[in-house]
Amino acid sequence: MQGLAGAAACSTVLAALPARSSPPASYAPRFFTPAEWAFLVAACDRLIPADENGPGALALDVPRFIDMQMDTPYAHGAQWYMQAPFVPGPDNLGYQLPHAPRDLYRRGIAGMDAHAATRHGRPFAGLAPALQDDLLRGAENGGMTFGDLPSTAFFDQLLANVMEGAFSDPVHGGNTGLGGWIMLGFPGARADFMDWVDRYGAHYPLGSVSISGETA
Amino acid sequence: MAWGKRLCLLAAVLAAGMMATPLARAQDQAPDHQLHGQDGDDAVARGEYMARVADCGACHTVPGGAPFAGGMAFHLPTGTLYAPNITPDRQTGIGRYSEAEFSRALRRGIRRDGATLYPAMPYPSYARLTDADVHVLYVYFMQGVKPVTHAVAQDGMVWPMSMRWPLSIWRTLYAPDPEAVRRDMDRRTFADPLVARGSYLVEGPGHCGACHTPRALTMQEKALTAADGPLYLSGGDVVDGWRPVSLRGENRTGLGRWNEHDIVRFLATGRMPLGAAFGGMADAIGHGTQHMTDDDRLAIARYLKTLSPAAPMVAQGWTYDPAVTDALRAGDVSARGARAYVDRCAACHRTDGRGYPTTFPPLAGNPVVMDPRPDSLIRIVLEGNILRATRQAPSAFVMPGFAARMDDRAVADTVTFIRAAWGNDAPAVTGVDVARIRRTLSPGHPPASLPMN
Amino acid sequence: MSDDARRLRAVDVVIVGGGWAGSIMAKEMTEAGRSVVMLERGPDRSTAADGAYPASIDELEANFRYKLFQDLSKNTVTIRNNSRQTALPYRRMAAFLPGEGVGGAGLHWSGVHFRIPPDDLRLRTRVIEKYGAKFIPEGMNLQDYGVSYEELEPFFDKAEKVFGTSGEAYMVKGQVVGKGNVFSPSRSDHFPLPALKDVYTAHLFRKAAAEVGFHPYSLPAANASRQYINPYGVQMGPCNFCGYCSGYACYMYSKASPNVNILPVLRRHPLFELRAGCHVMKVELDAEGRRATGVTYTDPDGAVVTQPAEMVILTAFQFHNVRLMLLSGIGRPYDPARNEGVVGRNFVYQNVTTSNVWLDRGIDTNQYIGAGGGGVAFDDFNSENFDHGPLGFVGGSPVWVNQAGVKAIAAAHSGGPPGTPRWGSAWKAGVIDTYRHSLRIDAHGANMAYRDVYLDLDPTWKDAYGQPLLRMTFDWKDNDIRMNRYVVDRIGDVAKAMGARRVNLTKREFGRPFDTRQYQTTHLGGGAVMGTDPGTSALNRYLQSWDVHNVFVIGANAFPQGTGYNPTGMVAALAYWAAHHIRTTYLAHPGPLAG
Repeated sequence: MQGLAGAAACSTVLAALPARSSPPASYAPRFFTPAEWAFLVAACDRLIPADENGPGALALDVPRFIDMQMDTPYAHGAQWYMQAPFVPGPDNLGYQLPHAPRDLYRRGIAGMDAHAATRHGRPFAGLAPALQDDLLRGAENGGMTFGDLPSTAFFDQLLANVMEGAFSDPVHGGNTGLGGWIMLGFPGARADFMDWVDRYGAHYPLGSVSISGETA
Repeated sequence: MAWGKRLCLLAAVLAAGMMATPLARAQDQAPDHQLHGQDGDDAVARGEYMARVADCGACHTVPGGAPFAGGMAFHLPTGTLYAPNITPDRQTGIGRYSEAEFSRALRRGIRRDGATLYPAMPYPSYARLTDADVHVLYVYFMQGVKPVTHAVAQDGMVWPMSMRWPLSIWRTLYAPDPEAVRRDMDRRTFADPLVARGSYLVEGPGHCGACHTPRALTMQEKALTAADGPLYLSGGDVVDGWRPVSLRGENRTGLGRWNEHDIVRFLATGRMPLGAAFGGMADAIGHGTQHMTDDDRLAIARYLKTLSPAAPMVAQGWTYDPAVTDALRAGDVSARGARAYVDRCAACHRTDGRGYPTTFPPLAGNPVVMDPRPDSLIRIVLEGNILRATRQAPSAFVMPGFAARMDDRAVADTVTFIRAAWGNDAPAVTGVDVARIRRTLSPGHPPASLPMN
Repeated sequence: MSDDARRLRAVDVVIVGGGWAGSIMAKEMTEAGRSVVMLERGPDRSTAADGAYPASIDELEANFRYKLFQDLSKNTVTIRNNSRQTALPYRRMAAFLPGEGVGGAGLHWSGVHFRIPPDDLRLRTRVIEKYGAKFIPEGMNLQDYGVSYEELEPFFDKAEKVFGTSGEAYMVKGQVVGKGNVFSPSRSDHFPLPALKDVYTAHLFRKAAAEVGFHPYSLPAANASRQYINPYGVQMGPCNFCGYCSGYACYMYSKASPNVNILPVLRRHPLFELRAGCHVMKVELDAEGRRATGVTYTDPDGAVVTQPAEMVILTAFQFHNVRLMLLSGIGRPYDPARNEGVVGRNFVYQNVTTSNVWLDRGIDTNQYIGAGGGGVAFDDFNSENFDHGPLGFVGGSPVWVNQAGVKAIAAAHSGGPPGTPRWGSAWKAGVIDTYRHSLRIDAHGANMAYRDVYLDLDPTWKDAYGQPLLRMTFDWKDNDIRMNRYVVDRIGDVAKAMGARRVNLTKREFGRPFDTRQYQTTHLGGGAVMGTDPGTSALNRYLQSWDVHNVFVIGANAFPQGTGYNPTGMVAALAYWAAHHIRTTYLAHPGPLAG
């Protein structure tokens, strides 16, 4: 567990690598390259840091979840309407880029690392947490573009998948130990509240359970 | 019908022990297709009804295949046995059978060529069929069934299991003689004509005892009628993994707490407030009892309710005990198996074990749950089950199987918990029990075709 | 295209779309002795397969990978806010989530099951009676349905009995009988099942709303409060408040769906044939264009097939019905410049905003407990239940707590109170507090129809079959924004009475355009509306095309403008209403239904 190490780390550019946990070394990413994986791990650790409120994205194996998702039809864009022409328009008319999630990650991570290198001389993963946060906020607020890719499109994709990884059923590779559900107080896949629906004010005492039957 | 292991055992017993001269084959005689009398459509219709009562389709019709064209496989380690084509096709079916030959096959288990039929064909029960019913069956199979040319692979069993002659010995020893049966039937008297009708349906064409009566080592049913004593319908050996429960009056493990109406409803729809059909009984209802008249179902119910408990009552009758319910509702899942029950089972069967009958059956007080042999219960937990649609109940319901999500220990704990909760009093089961049954799960589970609702 | 198509043997009725409307019409037509082929472009589906427990209890697959929803890669719509813009494809699921597959969205809807308020059926007449014709804003195409509540009542009743709807009546046969919605009209019978229990948040909302002086009632829900057997003999389990309704096939068989409530009987009917995976491209018309001769579709193998039929009933989702009419040349396409033509006219949405209320940290709101159709509402500001005169807007909005089960990923996305970052430790603290101790209150408002809000065919983008996508031109109008803002302020009153620690009132903002990126609702309506004037409606009051008499079009496309209620109950009643007139009149005397 990372504990508070990340938050407490000094914010100079050349700070030693912050102490942080990594996903289990046993997992070898199938989609992400080592450099991309380093970014993903570092970014996940900032988006959901471990703290007194519960585990962070790394303890929940969110990077593994995202890597596993990259092998699904969704990540290939099979669920999106991807017919040309791709015409830019106002934000409120929605996503209009030709990139499937896999492309968004490839381009977005390269773009983030390029920005990190330009500004700070190192890839994202090598920066102090405060600088990483600055870069992530910049991406979130649309402060950058990566070729034809606005940083917001990448950031929104990443954040959405991080949330999915932390809080979906562990069958998909994240939410290890049901840690995300325990943190929220979500019972999971039991899906039966007949005994509790009208016990007003009572505390629901049963722990979480996953589809596979893992309990916490 | 689920006959695989039973036949295998039978074949082994016979091959090991019996040596005798093959019986002479019956003379091949010209078939007699001319039916006697003016039967007409009515006989066809009555024959069709009797075919349903006798559940012929369960073995002789492959799901999705032409009616009665045969081919239902009985997989045995020694080979595969197939139910024959009984359509009136002259080459591959029974089109050359005379009525007498048909009757002999049905009631005595002797094929037209003189060979003895495997007793998967329940001729010890069909021996009780009346001449009139045999006749309408014959009319139906000759005139009401479409001939289908379908050569069913002959017994693919290798010698010595392929030999039919030992079967004839068995038949001679254990299959009742129809003439003697008739004399017995005439001797028995029933105050209530409905009970008389019920006894005929159950002991004869319905052949309930084929599954629900225990068998001897030599595989014959230990009792063929209610008059043979309390072993009749007292619960059979496991058939295809399902253990047929007692249909007698035991309070906890039989039909002691079912009333006539419950039984009628069960036979029509596969569901009633105390339980739901599964395993081989789902076939029996699907092919047979759902098509019966209400009068016949009532006759069966009234007759079954005359059967006393097989053994004197040793335990108290079942009464509901709320202790487990109270604990689970308080969030106490500390009992072994309780947490898995709450996580996996209670959504449908409820923490009070009462389920939501007739959609999801109760576990509290359910005879299947308290059966001394836990095979059915364990199997249902592992592979799930389908409560099928019937004419009167068009909704099917599916219980998922948990084989992939629960290990032997977890299943054993959960099943043990269920068997001891809410007033149930059945003994614990072990991981070894579960492992034994897990090994026998059919590759076809979960079922390839699920109900579409 | 149609010339090369393989022609099948004619049937009496071909039905396009296998959801609620299609299943109801198929049931009715087979009961009338007609042979029916139902074409569904999605896969065949069942509760047993798609609702298997616990594998289906998977929020990621159901709500974020849209397992049971329309395949946008093949077919979508384009959207713009006004006719000066280029409409752009709706490339990813977000604002609305149309269904696909046998059962349609009816397999995975929530279950809120309303009867439309009587005033909504004659809204134009009612507004003019009460406030004068000048009260109707410039550009608003306010219309009546051409059918009255009294005429529809038997069909509302029938639909509720088929669905196994839970609720509490207020008035039956003119007598007050219970604590139902005091604004609701008299009913011929009680709901078939008693109301669902209130979840805790709904219980608190009911108390607070009554304290403020409003009139709370239990939402009518097609989630069975007990086991139930419907008039077709099919059986439902009871709802156990599992919280997995919207997006899921109900593993308890307790949420009404075509798959559970109608299809088990229909599938066994010898006159009925279901063909899944068949995408209908066109309704074929005779040379004069006055009579349909069948439909042409692409089958699962990609072959183009023509199915001749005596009658064609379109029962696809609202905008698919409209598109199919446009592609087939049924009815005159709408021209916004002249406010003439009828197909595409009066396209409407629903005006929904969700506000949040945080209670004391000692109170667990247990947002994961819920039933899709369950909850507590008040109608004091819906329909014509209040005086719009001084307020100056048309339309209204029921207000409710409809806690259908908030699950973990959705909670994470919703985040914390306004001002909370979307990630990092502050987000974590905010999301945990919000999930454990807050509740949601919806203003579920009507959206009026306007002459410059409409549907037509897109000039640029095509579907996987080479046909033009449908184009939506849609934006929020000041009338609707004012209505929303007024009603949401009433939510503030209730939140205060609940003892809220914090309240976030979400209101529509003037000048903020319709945003396709945020989920709002899938309650789209209009575009091929019913009425009594062929100049302003594509369908007569029996949902029969004015122009092609053997085409009936059943769906929310028939709503002349939006209502505050969920549409399914009204769609089901309209289906039974149309079927009744087809069976009693049309089949014997095919031709335009009069009167």
